[in-house]
Amino acid sequence: MWKRSLRVAFAVSLLALCSLPLLRAQSPELPAGPAQAKVTTACTECHETRIISQQRLSKAAWTKEVDKMIKWGAVVDPADRDSFIEYLSVNFPPDKAPEQMPRVVAAKKR
Amino acid sequence: MVSRRSFLKDVTGVVAAAGAIHPLLNWAAENAPVVIPGEDGLIVRSARFLDLEMPSEFFDSWITPAPHFFVRNHMHEPSTLDAETWELKVSGEVERPLTLNFADLVRMEPHTVTNTLECAGNGRAFQRPQVPGVQWQKGAVGTARFSGPRLHDILQRAGVKPTGKHVMFHGLDEVPGKVPPFIRSIPIEKASDEDTLIAMRMNGEPLTRHHGFPARALVPGWIGAASCKWLSEIKVLDKEFDGNFMKPGYRMPNHPLKPGDPLNLDDTHPLTALSVKSIIAGPIDNSNSPSHSIHIHGAAWAGEADIVKVEISTDGGATWEAAQLGRDHAKYAWRLWSHNWKAPKAGDYTILSRATDSQGRTQPEIAEWNPSGYLYNAFDRVKIHVEA
Repeated sequence: MWKRSLRVAFAVSLLALCSLPLLRAQSPELPAGPAQAKVTTACTECHETRIISQQRLSKAAWTKEVDKMIKWGAVVDPADRDSFIEYLSVNFPPDKAPEQMPRVVAAKKR
Repeated sequence: MVSRRSFLKDVTGVVAAAGAIHPLLNWAAENAPVVIPGEDGLIVRSARFLDLEMPSEFFDSWITPAPHFFVRNHMHEPSTLDAETWELKVSGEVERPLTLNFADLVRMEPHTVTNTLECAGNGRAFQRPQVPGVQWQKGAVGTARFSGPRLHDILQRAGVKPTGKHVMFHGLDEVPGKVPPFIRSIPIEKASDEDTLIAMRMNGEPLTRHHGFPARALVPGWIGAASCKWLSEIKVLDKEFDGNFMKPGYRMPNHPLKPGDPLNLDDTHPLTALSVKSIIAGPIDNSNSPSHSIHIHGAAWAGEADIVKVEISTDGGATWEAAQLGRDHAKYAWRLWSHNWKAPKAGDYTILSRATDSQGRTQPEIAEWNPSGYLYNAFDRVKIHVEA
């Protein structure tokens, strides 16, 4: 019985370790959607998700941004370009309420 | 012994549970306290690259302490910064190319300039229609005492040739992907100004890492992007640098555009000095006041010009009253201001502020729209509810 508990504890630790980068990066997940995984992979290579999620742009403006980022080295399969633009313009349109941002907590207070 | 099968069974069970707690983990990531050494209370616009905004409550101090000072990084910070091995190269259209180290700069005569540093994109979040970029509201701005040798003294040591017309700054920012490097230039006249520094200290302390240790350019009164951080190279050029962060970046249309109009790059100029601007730090937007006596306060700045007047309207701009300017002032620094107002009755009010500078510029009701949201300086406005 205790062996099983140990195994579960080990698996939980493994999971916790896997989750650590998520917490350490302090970068929230992008909203669910067909292109979520690919957008996350391509964009967070260089910057965190808040850079994306604070934008409130039309489809035309998102098209310009995606093309600029591809020019600047974002790895996007040409077949995925349109789905990136669609995903971003559906999730971060001009009429969505502004994003609430966290505050930095001083290290000494912790 | 743990069989592979039973281990996998346990792991599978935990991973299934993880599916259920995943939203919880994401909630934790969104709400986890963000700890960034050396910084305190700033709004996180981005943790990577680091972009931190000063919240309104810190506009109460004429000098902004470093932990409250906004941070704007275009790229990754240098992974190693060592004053012992750091060098500053001076090259280009000069008689004697130089390589200076930290001690060389420390030995030069230091000068101090109290400067309000503002990101060109401050206020971008208020532009309509919205434009892409870091969605700064009021606080990509701060005032500090910057100290270090004059750029002019360094240029004199190198001997600028008559062909030298612009001075380029290159920092140690680490460039991701194929992003163009962060390199900008300023005209030789501004570079030779007695107040343009290679700053090594901020508010009497060595620059912190986030503010450009060991040395940064300090181009007073100009957009923050002119004051390149982690400086490693100064190059004198015969013409303006033409890389991405000079063109198409950081340019304004020569003629006002209608919102949504595209920018014709041939009809633009590089951003230089800041606009005239005031912001209301308190009361906070959308707040309630139990008292009819309202203390309205904020800051106003105008780049290379002086603030001569800040006015407040509580009736939608029909009438304006002069605010009292704070005692502290310096050539390139903001003026704090305040105004005590008695609300005539309970209800909802919009408070407006507008500043006027020594060049006769007055903050406009509507900012000049441009596709990157630079130099936003419309009247500031906060809505309050005065309780009965």
